[in-house]
Formats: sequence, structure tokens, C-alpha cells
Amino acid sequence: MLSRRRFLAASAAAGAHAITLTPRRAGAQPTPRRGGTLRVGFYIEAATMDPHLSGSKIDRQVYHNIYEPLVTLDAKLGVRPGLAESWQQPDLRTLVFKLRRGVKFHDGTEFNAEAVKFNFLRMKNEPKSVRKGEVASIDTVDVVDASTVRLNLKRPDAALLATLTDRAGMMVSPKVVQERGSELERNAKGAGTGPFEFVEWVKDAQLVLKRNEAYWDKRGGPYLDRVRYRPIPDDTVKLQSLQSGEIDAMDYVQPRDVAAVKADRNVVVVDVPSLAAFSYQLNQTRAPFSSKPLRQAVAAAIDVEQIVKGVWLGVGVPANGPVPPTSWAYDKSIAPIRRDLARARAKLAEAGQPGGFTFTLTTNNIPINIQEAEVIQAQLAEAGITAKIKLVDSATLISDGNNKNFDMISYQWSGRPDPDGNIYQFFKTSPGTSLNWSGISNAQLDALLDKSREAPSQAERKRLFSEITKILQEELPMIYIVHPIEPKAFSPRVVGYEPIPDGMMRFKDVWLR
Amino acid sequence: MGVLVLLLALLVAVAAPAVAPHDPLKQDLAHTLARPSRAHPLGTDNVGRDVLSRVVWGARVSLIAGFVSVAIALVTGGVLGLVAGYARGRVDGVVMRLMDAVLSFPPLVLALALGAVLGAGLGGVLIALGVVYTPTFARLMRAQVLSITARDYVDAARALGAPGWRIAARHVVPNATAPMVVQASLSVAFAILAEASLSFLGLGIQPPAASWGSMINAGRGYLQQAPWIVFGPGAALLVTVLGLNFVGDAVRDALDPRA
Amino acid sequence: MGGLILRRLGATVPVLLLVTAGVFALLHLTPGDPIDAMLAESQDPVAKAALRAELGLDRAIPVQYAAWMARVLRGDLGRSIRNGEPVVENVGRRLRPSLQLAVLAMAISLLVAFPVGLVSAYRRNTAVDRAGTTFALFGICMPNFLLALLLIFLFGVILRWLPISGYVDPLEEPWDGFRSLLLPGVTLGLALGAVVTRTLRSSLVDALGEDYVRTARAKGVAEWRIMRRHVLKNALLPVVTVLGLQLGTLIGGAVITEYVFALPGVGRLVVDAVFARDYPLVQGVVLLIALGFIVCNLLVDMLYGWIDPRIRYR
Repeated sequence: MLSRRRFLAASAAAGAHAITLTPRRAGAQPTPRRGGTLRVGFYIEAATMDPHLSGSKIDRQVYHNIYEPLVTLDAKLGVRPGLAESWQQPDLRTLVFKLRRGVKFHDGTEFNAEAVKFNFLRMKNEPKSVRKGEVASIDTVDVVDASTVRLNLKRPDAALLATLTDRAGMMVSPKVVQERGSELERNAKGAGTGPFEFVEWVKDAQLVLKRNEAYWDKRGGPYLDRVRYRPIPDDTVKLQSLQSGEIDAMDYVQPRDVAAVKADRNVVVVDVPSLAAFSYQLNQTRAPFSSKPLRQAVAAAIDVEQIVKGVWLGVGVPANGPVPPTSWAYDKSIAPIRRDLARARAKLAEAGQPGGFTFTLTTNNIPINIQEAEVIQAQLAEAGITAKIKLVDSATLISDGNNKNFDMISYQWSGRPDPDGNIYQFFKTSPGTSLNWSGISNAQLDALLDKSREAPSQAERKRLFSEITKILQEELPMIYIVHPIEPKAFSPRVVGYEPIPDGMMRFKDVWLR
Repeated sequence: MGVLVLLLALLVAVAAPAVAPHDPLKQDLAHTLARPSRAHPLGTDNVGRDVLSRVVWGARVSLIAGFVSVAIALVTGGVLGLVAGYARGRVDGVVMRLMDAVLSFPPLVLALALGAVLGAGLGGVLIALGVVYTPTFARLMRAQVLSITARDYVDAARALGAPGWRIAARHVVPNATAPMVVQASLSVAFAILAEASLSFLGLGIQPPAASWGSMINAGRGYLQQAPWIVFGPGAALLVTVLGLNFVGDAVRDALDPRA
Repeated sequence: MGGLILRRLGATVPVLLLVTAGVFALLHLTPGDPIDAMLAESQDPVAKAALRAELGLDRAIPVQYAAWMARVLRGDLGRSIRNGEPVVENVGRRLRPSLQLAVLAMAISLLVAFPVGLVSAYRRNTAVDRAGTTFALFGICMPNFLLALLLIFLFGVILRWLPISGYVDPLEEPWDGFRSLLLPGVTLGLALGAVVTRTLRSSLVDALGEDYVRTARAKGVAEWRIMRRHVLKNALLPVVTVLGLQLGTLIGGAVITEYVFALPGVGRLVVDAVFARDYPLVQGVVLLIALGFIVCNLLVDMLYGWIDPRIRYR
């Protein structure tokens, strides 16, 4: 108990931006050693090896070691060169990439401008592509020369560059796609350019990568001979597997386990602040939350601070809106909505429901969601508001959201490197975008959202996002709760992991002691 | 012994408001996962609720889950078995094939799918478990009907011109009761366990209410930090199910001295 | 005998029709949608519509059922929606660990049940018997996820004797494979052992009370010989029944054990498929499990005839 409270105090003091590395890792690092197999435990198995068809978060963990995007992220979410050496924006509708020369796919074919064009066209035209939305602003792709590519945009899209740091920017060998087609979903042999090559995927058992001996970047790694991913669905069992040395790394430590694990000498925990925003969407298209004062009453009755402390055990920070503290656009002058029971009662009266009202709170039937819902239920009860909890599995949750079959529904967005990815698709009036579950349609907000994509400078965009955050706190299509920290855990043998807030575990420079 | 345990469980369930030392829903986020103490003999859970009080109230939900779902199965299965055994022929065939179909589903999958269709919550769980246990009772009833209607006194009654329903009511049902009751008492135990398994897979009681199963599910992540959240409901579950089994055995021994 | 098997198999056709139609109806009544579930964070309406059309999910449900049935009759169980893999391959891969686990659990259950059951039956109503019976009840009453977590904690975390999770194929690496299956095998085996112990004890008690045993005793036949020749053989019938009926449950129903120990078995496959609303996979697996269940029943009936020739089939 004591250790957990001490941990709470420590993490509160550490603040939002700090990337806390445990002291044991902070010392002078010896020369990297080549060799060894890194065994990684994940909660679920990957769904597909084709980054253009992938809709699941876990796939990306593997991709970031096999494939490479045109540009990459650094620890402060700045955009850095990847497969593209440099880029220019001659105007708001044009983006020119200068590509790295001498890069080869694992199948030996050349990476060049033609390959880039092939990939973008595939993302746009392949019927099963789920990248369409992310590359929608790209109109045409011109091959200027073998190592120069020009993207002509339909409209200004300030978020595009950051979007290309993930799956939408990942380049797959055209030869592999043409020759193997849909087999790529199960077998990514030869398909990437990254520091590791796909070896085999024995479904339900393991996915194995090996070092790319011909990797273009000769500085640093890859050091590891192999990386082996294993699905271990039960959180407790996965953690115990790490503690007993059966695996060397795992993707996520539950908040409830963080304190205990930090006290364990056999485990090294790295707190990785995330891009995520965990929230609840309020359905504006039907009663009761078509009433703005009722939305405001609920927001005023919820104690976000207490939830982050009591449920998330400080493994996260209270959210003031969609922009996480890891982002350049985060505005710390905007406070999270404070609990104010008097205001909640006043709003109830304003809505003509002074005695309170009843609604259904839909959430995922996983332990921490249930716990959070129970705490919210108790908090709302103090304002006379009755929340009935409806537990559903995640498939039902998504369908309920898409069909607007809810009053208040849990929404855990894993986040995107550009704030646009946490905002635009959720609040823009547009019947086609289905992530706007709340049904909000607000002309002022729409105008700001479009402006945020066209604004020429980051400073200007930041100002617009702050304005949007304030409107969201007033209109409340969503009630934001927490920007979680995603702690990763390693065996003390693992050295060199660089945490980046997108939560991806890139093993290029990792080695085993 | 078994009867005693069972009575105790029932008593606790009925008298939950009087027995529970605290409000089972009262949270205290400042005192989560507290060790067992005088104030909280079984400690507190992950939102600071008193585990003992929740175990006491959980008795209601768990026992309801066990008894009602088996009652559903007993009645449905009993009627189906009676009809099948009595009507014979095509009706028998249809009913029993239907029962075979239900039996050849993996039970947990059947309950899972049914529960998902019916929506989470106690109602869905009760019906889902009821359906899963129906074939057992239908088969048992049918077998009883077949063996009883072959006996002399039924022939005699039939010869005297007694209508079929009366024979069923007078002779068949009373004679078939004993084995059905034995089966039921054992099934209740399994149903309570099955409810716990469904909770483990995330299907079941809607919070903040709790059954023993859902408490164990919520607490299983804390086995290292706070084993008492699992221990309380786990012990209650184990003891009650044991009690039910003892009762079932005792009833069977009483009815069938040979066993 | 051959005619009997054919007749029994013929009778399973309506059962299988009912099962598949039931699964189909249940699945499509369940809220949630495979495409929504798969593309959780990329809700692109165009891509979703394309996928739906490609998978035939835009057709009326009876049409989908008919199309599925038609393919099944041609021996094609279709492909998983989530990963595009043929259902048969998927199940085939999962069947191996499931079968190995089932066999190990049965072996463990017999190892436990025979001594306990025999002693209990012989020393009926003594302290030994009561201890045995109580042990059996504990095995039955212990929720298996609790037992699994306790075993992991004890043997994996504290003592570190056995691996906590994961599966190694014993056919490839016998020793590691055996170790990887031991904890889950014990978890399932103890519960099964409890059931078998009970069955064995009560049928032994029955058999010991039979006239021929008394006659044999009166004639002074050695006790162990009575046991072997008369008692055990007759007491075996119910045990075989129980084991046979449980085999189906062990293969398709060991969901929780497989889940906790991260074993890639059939039970977890079908539960995951339900959660992903992977319709073809669920349908295929349930059909195969139902078929397996029916075959098990048939085998049990045939074993009856072998153990007790008095039982003849009509």
C-alpha cells in the first residue's frame, strides 16, 4: 500500500511531460552487443501484415519494425526524416519529398519514387484499403525523378505530414504486392525496408522477425538477431511471464500493476506518455443529451481529478480536451473541467430537471472501464443524476456508436501524432464520417476545424486548437477524462529502448545485455 | 451439513440489508484495496467498497442466478421431456433432436452467444443458462416417462380409461420428481459456477451490482496486490457450491438407498 | 454394427442442421458487426461497404445461410473474416493443442480418480472415504479460473518450476511441450478427476453390492481377483461414459483454461471469433465441435458393447 501511495506522489510530481526512465537505466551505457532474441508479449495477435488494410492497433507495433514510413516521429512528436531525406512545401497544396537513395526492400527491389507512387495509389484505390480517409487530401502523385516525389493536394492539409509517420506513410514493396496479392496479409516476407525482416508467422503462437543485414542506416542497430512476438491474452499472466523471464518486453502494464512492477528488481518499467484521449461521447441526436444544460450538468458532476487518481492511479493526466500533453498543440492554460455540484444542480434546473434524470452509460466490459463507470455512477448520484451502466463487448460498443444507439458511451481513442487526428473526424459536420458519434453539428466549430487544416503556421494552428478545445468544453459532444500513460515493461537485460509517445516499440537500437 | 450451509447462504441472501456491515455500493477512493481490518473484515475492493458487504449482497445475485436458471431449465426441460415421452413418434423425434442440437453446442459458447443476443444483465444470464441446462432435464424426464408408462399400474389405469393427462399428472410426474430434484440440486451448483465463468468472459451482471463471479472477475487482476478481493467471494462460492452438492448427494442417498 | 453406425450418423443430419441454423440466427441477432469490429479505428464507409460486399454480408440472412450451407456441402467451410485464413486450417491448427490437453487432462484425472475412488469405495463411510469424497467435491466446486490463477502463482511465480503461459508442441519438443501443458492439464484434470472419482466410487459401491461378488467372496476368491474380474470391469462402464461425454467438453469448452494459459486451442478460437463477430469462423467451429460431440457419443456407445456384451443394439 505504502509503495503505491509513494508512487502516486512521485508520478504527480513528475508532471505530464516527463519521460520517466528508472534510475537503473539512466547510468552510462556500455557498448551495444549484437545478437540474441528479444521475446515480446502482446495482449492479442496481429490481424494482418498489410499496413494498407490494417485497422488494429497491435499490427502497428510489428509494422514499425518491418516497414518504414516516409517520415518519422521524435520523442517530442516532431517530424523527422524517414525514407524521405527531406521535404518541401512550395505552397499549401503541394508536398515534395526527396527520397533516400540506395534503400532496398527486403526482397532486393529498389525503393524509389515509382514505389512511393504505387503505394499511394494502392492506398487510394484498393477497394479494401482502410487508409483512404487518411490520404483523402492527396489528389495526384507525380514522379519528378527517381528520388523525388510530388504530392498534389485537393485542399490544404496541415496534418498530412504527421499522418505519414504511421501506416499511411509506410512503403510496401510493389513487387511483393503484385506477385503475392492478398497473401501479404499473412506473409510479409520481403515486403518492407525496415531494420527487421519478416521471417514467419505461426498463427496463435509466434511472429518472428530477423535482423535486416542490409539495412540502409549504418549508424546504431539493428543489433538483435531476432524479435519474437507472442500473444498472451491475460494481463496478469503476461506480467508474470515477464517477471519470471519467459518474455523480455511487454506492450502495456495495467495501472493497477504499475506500482508493484516498479518495485520488482526483475522488471524495468518505462512510462510512455501517449497520444491517447479517453472520453465519453454524449449523443446529441436524442434525449436526454440533446439538451445542452444536461450535458453540462453531467460534466460538472464528474470529478475527473478523482478518477485519474483513484481509477487510473495516476498513470495518466486529467484531460482538458482532445489534445494530449505530449503534443506541441497542448494548451496548459486550459484547465480540465472542474467538479462543481452547485453548477451541476443549477444546470439541471435550467434544463427543467431539478430533481435529476436517468440515462444509460455504455462501456466496454473490461475491468478498468467497469471500475471507471462505477466511480462516475457514484459521482453523478451525488448530483441526483442516475446513470445505468450497460456493459457490452467491443464489437457491440462500436456498432452502438456507429448507429448512435447510446446516451453516453465510452470512447478510448489511441490518438494520432497530429492533433487533427484527435479532433477533426470527431466533430466535423459530415454525414460520411462515422467517428462523429455524438452527432455534433456546429457551424462555428466546423469553420474552425477547416481553418485548422489550412493554417500556414504551427503557432496559428495551436491557437485554433485552443479555441476548439474551449468550445468543446462548452458544447460537450465529449467529456474528456484522461490522457493515459502507457507504461512498457522490460527485462533488465533489454537496453536502448527509446520511448516515443505514439507508444510503438521500435527495436532498431535495442540490444540485450 | 450441506443443508446448514445452504440455509445459511439463503439466510444471508434474504437478510442482506441487515447482515451487511456497510453499504455495498459506498465507494471510498482514498481507501482502495485496504487490507482486512476490524472495520472491513474482508478488506476493500478497487474502488474502496467493503468486500464483506458485497459478498453478502452478492449472495442474492449468485443464488438467484443458480436457482432461477435451473428452475427455468427444470420447467422447460420437464415439459418438453413429458411431451416427448408421452407423444412419442414424430413429436418425440423433433423435440429430442432439438435437445441434441442444444447439447452439442459447447455450453459456454451457447451461453455467450445467447447472452450477447439477450443483452448483458442478470436476465440474459438466467435465460442463457436456463437454455443450456434444459436438455439435461428433458432427457431425464423423457427417460422417466418411458420407464414409468411401461409399468403395470399405468397399464391398469389406461385400461380403466383414464385420460392421458390424468395418468401423467397422477402417476408419471410424481414418480419422476425425485430424480429431477436430485439433478436440479446438482445443477444449481453448476449454474452458480457457470455464472462465474460468464462473468470471467465479461458477460453477466451489470454494475454496480455484483455476483460472486463478477467480484472474482473484477478482482483477479489484483491477486498479487490484494488477494482478499478474490478470497471473500471465492470462499463464499466454494462453500455454497459444496453445500449444494452435499444436499444433492444426501437427497439422492435418501431416495436411492443403494447408492 | 456398420448399419448401426450409418443409421446413427443419418440421425445426426437434422441435429447438425438445427445447430448450424441456430448459430447463424444467434450470430446475426447479436449486436455488433464483423466489419465494424475489425476496422475499429478506421471507420471508412467506402472501405467498409467494399468489404461487406466482398464477404457477401450485404445479402439477406437466409440467403447467406443457404450460400454457406451450399459451400459446406461441397466441403468448403469458408474463410475467417478477420484474417482471411480458411476455417479448416484455422481449426486444424487449434485442434492439436486442444487434443493434447484433453488427453493429458484425462490421464491426470484417471491417475487421481482410480486410487481415490477405489479406496473410498472399499472403505465406505470411513474417514478415508469422507476425505476422498470431499476432495472430489472440492475439485468439482472450484471455479477453474481460480484454480488456474492459483497454480500459476504457486508453480510459475513463486516456485518457478513450470512455464506460466504459452504452448510448445510436445510432438516437436517432448519435454518442453509436456511442461507447457502440465499446469493447464492439472487445472482441467483435477476438475475432471473429481467427476470421475465420484462416478467410480458410486459404481464400485454398486458393483460390490452385487450378488456375484458376494458369491465369489463366499467361495473364497481372493479379494484382488474379485476386484479385477468382477467389480472393476462392471464399474468401468459409467466411467467410460463420463470420460467420453467430457472429451467434447474438454476440446471445445476449455475456454477459460486456454485463455489463462495462452494456449491456442479450439475453445479460445471460438470465443475470440464470437467477440470479433467472425461469422464464418464461428459457424465452422461450432459445426465441427458439434460433429465431434456426436462422434464421441457414438464411440462411447460402441465401447459399451465392448465392455459389456449384454448391451446390444436394437
